[in-house]
Amino acid sequence: MWSYAFRRCLWMIPTFLGILLINFAVLRLQGLSLTDQVSAGQQGEGDRKVTAASAAIETWLGRFRRTGNDLPALVNLRGFTGSETVRSRLAAAQRGPQVNEAKRSRAELEDLWLQGGLLVEPLLVVLADDAAAKLHGPASFALSLCAYRPLLVEDLDRLSQPEQDRLRARNDRLRQLRIAYRNTSEHGYVSDDPQAETKRQALLALLRADAADFERSGRRWTAIIGETGFTDFMGKLFTGRLYSETRKDYAFAIIADRWSVTAWLNVIAILIAWGVSIPLGVWSARRTGTLADRATTGALFAAWSIPSFFVATLLLHHLCTSQSGEPALFPNRGLSSPGSMWLSTPAYLMDLLWHAALPLVCLTYQSFTALSRYMRANVLEQLSSDYIRTARAKGVSDDAVVWKHATRNSLVTMITLGAGLLAELFGGFVFVEYVFSIPGLGTLMLEAAKQQDAPLLMASTVVSVSLLLVGILIADLLYAVADPRIKARYA
Amino acid sequence: MSKAALVLLSVVALLLVVQIIDRWREPAQLKAVMEASERAASAQERMLLELKGMREELARRPAPSTGQPQPEVTAPASDQQRDGKPRLGANFLKLYDRSHFHPQWVGGTLRSFNSSPKGFNPIVENSADASSASGLVNDSLCTNHPATPHLWSESLAESVVISDDWKTYTFRLREGVMWQRPVIARQPEFAWLDRDVPLSAADFVAYLDMIKHPEVECPALKSYFDDLEKAEAPDPRTLVLHWKKKVFTSMASSLGLEPLPRHVYLSNRDGSPIPVAQIGTTFNKHWFDDLGGLIGVGAYILELNENDRLVRFRRNPSYWGAPLHFETFEWDAEVRLPDPQLVAFKNGQVHSHGLSPTQYKSQILDGAEPRFAKPVPGDAKAGRAGELGWELVRSHAYQYIGWNLRKPLFADKRTRQALAYAFPKQRIIDEVWFGLGRPQIGPIHLDSPYFNTQLKDFDFAPARATALLAEAGWRDSDADGWLDREIDGKRVTLRIQLKYVANRPEWDATLAVYRDELKSIGVDLAVTSYEWKELLRIYEEKDFDAAVGGWQLGSLEPDFWQLWHSSTADEPRSSNHVGFKNARIDELCVTLRETFETDLRKPIIEEVQAIIFAEQPYLFFRSPTSAFVWQNRGPPATGRWLRGVTDGLDAYHPLFNRANLLWHFANE
Repeated sequence: MWSYAFRRCLWMIPTFLGILLINFAVLRLQGLSLTDQVSAGQQGEGDRKVTAASAAIETWLGRFRRTGNDLPALVNLRGFTGSETVRSRLAAAQRGPQVNEAKRSRAELEDLWLQGGLLVEPLLVVLADDAAAKLHGPASFALSLCAYRPLLVEDLDRLSQPEQDRLRARNDRLRQLRIAYRNTSEHGYVSDDPQAETKRQALLALLRADAADFERSGRRWTAIIGETGFTDFMGKLFTGRLYSETRKDYAFAIIADRWSVTAWLNVIAILIAWGVSIPLGVWSARRTGTLADRATTGALFAAWSIPSFFVATLLLHHLCTSQSGEPALFPNRGLSSPGSMWLSTPAYLMDLLWHAALPLVCLTYQSFTALSRYMRANVLEQLSSDYIRTARAKGVSDDAVVWKHATRNSLVTMITLGAGLLAELFGGFVFVEYVFSIPGLGTLMLEAAKQQDAPLLMASTVVSVSLLLVGILIADLLYAVADPRIKARYA
Repeated sequence: MSKAALVLLSVVALLLVVQIIDRWREPAQLKAVMEASERAASAQERMLLELKGMREELARRPAPSTGQPQPEVTAPASDQQRDGKPRLGANFLKLYDRSHFHPQWVGGTLRSFNSSPKGFNPIVENSADASSASGLVNDSLCTNHPATPHLWSESLAESVVISDDWKTYTFRLREGVMWQRPVIARQPEFAWLDRDVPLSAADFVAYLDMIKHPEVECPALKSYFDDLEKAEAPDPRTLVLHWKKKVFTSMASSLGLEPLPRHVYLSNRDGSPIPVAQIGTTFNKHWFDDLGGLIGVGAYILELNENDRLVRFRRNPSYWGAPLHFETFEWDAEVRLPDPQLVAFKNGQVHSHGLSPTQYKSQILDGAEPRFAKPVPGDAKAGRAGELGWELVRSHAYQYIGWNLRKPLFADKRTRQALAYAFPKQRIIDEVWFGLGRPQIGPIHLDSPYFNTQLKDFDFAPARATALLAEAGWRDSDADGWLDREIDGKRVTLRIQLKYVANRPEWDATLAVYRDELKSIGVDLAVTSYEWKELLRIYEEKDFDAAVGGWQLGSLEPDFWQLWHSSTADEPRSSNHVGFKNARIDELCVTLRETFETDLRKPIIEEVQAIIFAEQPYLFFRSPTSAFVWQNRGPPATGRWLRGVTDGLDAYHPLFNRANLLWHFANE
């Protein structure tokens, strides 16, 4: 039995990592790019505010480095980018007369800006090449951003004061040493900066003096896996440093405030779902083929086909809205009344129940159909078994046959459905919490998705997946407890 | 086990559960008691402060000698020209208006929906919620009264003198203004904040220093102050701003400047000063922001910020100015979706709200909610009669369909004009948008004092559209039902790919009607909807033939550079996503930026409107109106029914008439 439990636990690790990897890949494929971060400054939806646009790109770099959005998702081969590749990419990014080309060129340039210290060496080669004068402007700009080292609050404790001063001074110099240039449709890169040569020499000298900071011969190999978005994310995940930029707090701290609401709502929903479905399934099985059975099946399938968010909205409008000054039957929001803090515990529990009643109805009514029909089919199968016939022949009463023998054996297969039910509920609570304004994990996930808050979304996913995996584990263990064959196999 | 034992066991188990829950609730209850006692202490403190203020006020008042009524306070003789219109060399600010304030109306809690700001840093945060919070808690140098939003009035500055050809602004600050004490000052750790700190000109300089600091993450704000040369505070009440260039936009940036609590933001958590070299880095993630702190010199103090649940502001007893009439403001951040918000409003949980077009249709036009008065044709104020009040209000915004002028399809302005003639604007507004809006004619709002009244909108005239398209060379040469034309040696069909924002049923219907109308004149319109973030990317990459958009206009003083100047047409991420270029508009943009006098600006702005109207880079669609609803009247209930809403709607400028200066609760 312990060996079985241990094996199931071990299997959870790759499942957990696999789910995280897929989620991470989906988020990155969705395109959390520099453009997104810049656009995020714009307010409203549909109507955009007229504000002065800004091109101060380096002010976003701090945020980008903090969130790990500047790193490639899974494999980092930036250390292997040669100066020829950089040269050709800079040259290819020159603007042409066509719109699409302009679009492509900007995207390529921005991609270069974000590549960080690993690209400083090849960029320096391009900048040092007298023959590539046309590329000196964009190369100096890309260098100033790749070598830029934003100082984060954590750095104030981590780095010594002279080191901080050195990095600040270098950041300032990098900003000053950009060679002014324009990317024109007619002539590509054009620079009329009178100090271009002086700036170029100064920039070369500055970065060559700090060459050790950008040395990449050893770093390029460790960077392949070590400096990727996924590694960065996993590092932050396991050290609890996943930080939500939109909410200005650590993601797990935000979740800690909310997950319990969702968890207990789900536990009660599961208990209700099972508590109603199992007797209902048995009841139907005992009346199979009768009008009552057919009517129950029809009603359950009708309920199953109505989406829960629709039912939630209907209930909200008809049972939670005050009509002509009369108070509503049920509260329209939250899980407790404003003054419930001061109620006695029984009154507090009643208040909680009053608030949770409709959300629980919405969360559970669909699961009645599947669970009770499975139960019905299982009980029918058991009732037609030989051992039941034997029991009846021995004179066991009908109730005892159904409840003690058929139902008990049917429950073994029902356990496996438990995990599926948990997954189903996780889909449902997102909308139900949103409609009934319950401050749980579901509302948080939806808000995080709307705001493209990747760290919070990932952290919420981690919690949801963990709860789900624990649910599956419990179901597996119960299955082993209930089925002696499994117990015997791992004994 | 016997039944009795089972029952007994169940009762014991239940009692045990109740006991456990009881213990579990204790810490939260204890915390709530502590908070309540803190609030009581703070209320006592406020009362003492108010008492002190009243004593000082009484001491200042001269003893009545004649029994004659006192004359109204008027501007001093030298200030006769203080009409709020900017001029050189003299203080033009209107006197601070206290007329809205009636002490007997003060009291109650005004509740509204608002998401809770995720941070309050006045510089780094650029969300609308953070700026609303800042509006309650802090004040600016000068202000615009909602009755006269185009004129400037006193606020923290008693005077401003502009000199040096509109490049130097010298402000004289009001005396005796104090910074609020943050809520955390009651904790022993932050006792160093529990003191009176007067507002100083250096607080404004600190604000600008932070914006200009290269390490501070505020790119949007930085662009407003790119041309600021320096800011000085020669003495605590004098602030001087020097701008490099004479640019009109610098005026709003200067007059609207807010102070930064330098005694907080330039200090470490223990009160020691932050080393100069570390200021930029620490400011981006300041300890005061991590604690959710916000202070200002304004009418309200941030009292409570429960993330995503509730934000509460309480009246500042030592406020220097005339405050609003509510003891507290509460922002309800828990209810997010439109339907639950409507239900919460109907249940009296918030005092005012805005309906979506479909809610307006169902709740008011179709009468689903009998507590709203029925609309009466011709009576715009009919909604004021119901238990729940409603009125259609206007927004300083407009919606449009933008044509990508880089595409050869739209090169000829006659094509664009024809597309305007084929758009049944009024019909769509009436039938699809349920009458919520007015036809927009150009880039200036119809209610703006700068609106060019000479412009006459394109009527819906398909025949005229067909004729213009023919003039532009579009013919159905292959008799397939669609117009075509030869462009660069290739035959091109007039087929337009239009992109718009998803989940907007009104836009779905609008474009379906337009598509049918265009089809009847041989133009093929294909529409695709995108999520808002994706559409933003499409605008920025100029990856469209036609795209639906909207602009919130903010200030009444227009600046056409961002949207219409040629230099912005090819700029990455510029707002001129349609790629509009016009030499005359470029000249006018420059002239307008150098013209400060209202009377001289008007003809320039009118000419810009006329050119853009004729060029039709946008199909200007509608300036939105929306249904504003409030708790209007009903059986006596403390703090439920709002008074003064209709006074504001009548008295103030139609674009700013939801300002809550006159709002208060009925004292039944």
